[in-house]
Amino acid sequence: MVRKRTVTRSQEYSESIINTVREPLIVLDQDLRVVTASRSFYDVFKVKPEKTVGQLIYDLGNKQWDIPKLRELLETILPQKATFDNYEVEHDFATIGRRIMLLNARQIQRVLGKERVILLAIEDITERREIENGLEKARKELAATKISEDAAREYAESIINTLREPLIALDQDLRVVSASRSFYDVFKVKPEKTVGQLIYDLGNKQWNIPKLRELLETILPQKATFDNYEVEHDFATIGRRIMLLNARQIQRVLGKERIILLAIEDITARREIENGLEIARKELETIKISEDEAREYAESIINTVREPLIVLDQDLRVVTVSRSFYEFFKVNPKETVGQLIYDLGNKQWNIPKLRELLETILPQKATFDNYEVEHDFSTIGRRIMLLNARQIQRVLGKERVILLAIEDITERREIENGLEKAHEELKELAAELKRTARVKSEFLANMSHELRTPLNSINGFSEVLYDETFGPLNEKQKKYVNNVLTSGKHLLLLINQILDMAKVEAGKMKLALSGLPMKSLLNEISLLVEDMVSKKKIEMLLEIAEDLPNIEADELKVKEIIYNLLSNAVKFTPEGGKFGLRAKKADSKIEIVVWDTGVGIAPENMEKIFEGFFRVDTPYSRVTEGTGLGLPLSKKLVELHGGKLSVESEGLNKGTSVRFTLPIVSRKVV
Amino acid sequence: MRKKALVVDDNRDNLLLEKDLLEVAGFEVLEAENAAGGIAIARREKPDIIIMDVRLPDMRGTEAAKILRQNKETRDIPIVFVTASVMAEGREEIKAITNTGFIGKPINTRTFAKEISQLLSEFSNILKSQIQKR
Repeated sequence: MVRKRTVTRSQEYSESIINTVREPLIVLDQDLRVVTASRSFYDVFKVKPEKTVGQLIYDLGNKQWDIPKLRELLETILPQKATFDNYEVEHDFATIGRRIMLLNARQIQRVLGKERVILLAIEDITERREIENGLEKARKELAATKISEDAAREYAESIINTLREPLIALDQDLRVVSASRSFYDVFKVKPEKTVGQLIYDLGNKQWNIPKLRELLETILPQKATFDNYEVEHDFATIGRRIMLLNARQIQRVLGKERIILLAIEDITARREIENGLEIARKELETIKISEDEAREYAESIINTVREPLIVLDQDLRVVTVSRSFYEFFKVNPKETVGQLIYDLGNKQWNIPKLRELLETILPQKATFDNYEVEHDFSTIGRRIMLLNARQIQRVLGKERVILLAIEDITERREIENGLEKAHEELKELAAELKRTARVKSEFLANMSHELRTPLNSINGFSEVLYDETFGPLNEKQKKYVNNVLTSGKHLLLLINQILDMAKVEAGKMKLALSGLPMKSLLNEISLLVEDMVSKKKIEMLLEIAEDLPNIEADELKVKEIIYNLLSNAVKFTPEGGKFGLRAKKADSKIEIVVWDTGVGIAPENMEKIFEGFFRVDTPYSRVTEGTGLGLPLSKKLVELHGGKLSVESEGLNKGTSVRFTLPIVSRKVV
Repeated sequence: MRKKALVVDDNRDNLLLEKDLLEVAGFEVLEAENAAGGIAIARREKPDIIIMDVRLPDMRGTEAAKILRQNKETRDIPIVFVTASVMAEGREEIKAITNTGFIGKPINTRTFAKEISQLLSEFSNILKSQIQKR
């Protein structure tokens, strides 16, 4: 009878510990049914205890936990390994939406039964990932927009400084370009002794680590990236450390050289905790089950959680504390157990707010959650802590004990503040980018206006002269004024095409979509080039499929594309040659090929033809003909419609064919 | 009777070109090099049509048009904007004013006067129906 009561109480005690920690925690039996879950589990996943306990985990909350990866972890990995760490799972929950979670689990022997239970800790890292992705996205956007080099560098450095992880940027020769504040903090080195140095020479050559050399000199050049390389090293300044290295080799935004970004995570403490847990678990297994061990079970839970936990008696004297408490507050058991909490570590715990909580609030309410306390500790400096407490009946005695969980949120606050700052900076940057875009657009409008105004005179007066509106010209005068007019019109075409290119590139080109009768439109444009064809003794072949559908597109732009390609074909085909157009339906698109038997394109020029202002030298075409922008602009206009354009040529004098597609129904929302 | 056209453009070459083309087509042409001068001539001479540049030294052509629209004697004169600002943004401010047309620069000298005559007859039809409604 006594024993049974003890068992019940020990369970209560364990559960109250579970409920005091902030990470959602769930305890499952061998059949994966829920034995108990922490308060925070109910809070975070918005489920009720009565619908949770006793349920199969996969059935929780309308089966929303039936996640293939979780099944794999629980059913395959855990039975083999007894533990898994930091499994990342992304899942779309019915109640709380898409979440990314980090799962940590331990399979432990249940003290008072024979079966095994599974302790599953769930950390929601969705927001952290979003922030990371946001930063990554912002970085990419930034690289895409060509803002000044200084701004780009400042921005990159502000990101580097915002990250909590020590981060170091190296150049191609493995010399330090920049390092984050946290790098200097963690490794206790100074900027002036770091920047410009070879990484191996940093801090008295303490970074000359064989494994790091291998990573940077052998692996990185081949792979451009490596993830989670674990390196253990004895540093002169900070002692033996286990670090997780992540690196990226990236193109510097506005320069040509490559830089290496190396992120260093110190996992020494994490490993120690993990090792401690493993030892505790093993010890637990070897001990015979007895009433005393009920308490050990409770304590093993205390030691499983990473949060410092302290158990006080009625008189606020320490009964026991978690390993993490000793580690965190840098105190030892001797000067802790049996002491009044306020006297711990040179009375540094004598905090007015804590007194109020323990002496006034707790006796009335038996529990308090998330009390934030900021305090300047003599050993560990100013810290912001979140306190959670439960007042419970002691398992093996009659008196009450107080369970106090302490979460250090100092760094989290710092990160939050850093993120807030980064967010502000991003907002400013976005405003700056908007302004730059507006200035650019205004510049384009002005340039267009300023160039057109004199052209109006050049083209207008020469046209009036050529038309002999005010009297006849002799043959030579007429020929010369026609030369002026031809050049003026060429210049106008050039201005229009440059403007169009700039508009497409600035994302300002808008499509005026309508239904286009393609068959008649193709015939209409072929008539436009007929004039050029008849002057040159070349043959045009039109092959338009009977079932060629109408498409949804911008009429003027489609005409421009086809006209550009046909006039190129005419231009680059010698007398006696052929050119033509084939059009057919291809799935949800139409495919048009404009081909010719002309001068073709040498393989080495295949890329250049899309760069703009490149013209194939040819005996059949004067250099002044065409702008060299027709093809690149056509490609951009095709892509704007959601199609693709490609050019094929067997080589010089082997002809060319330009193939492009246009969707039948436009995907673009304009 | 010869139709009266007022051309407002600060670029003298453009002014001369448009004047020549309109005179060849039989218009009587009045000229102004800024908006204020254009407005004064419009009030005095009541032209049948105004051909107006958009970027003028003293104000935008569209602002001059708004002033003309406020005055009873000039509010129905059709205005054709001839401008080198052919970007889509520039069109919006023109559309906001009644009885206006648009021709981009550089102009086509072979069709310019024809376009003006055509717009003039379109506008006079519109005007007739507007007067009937009033």
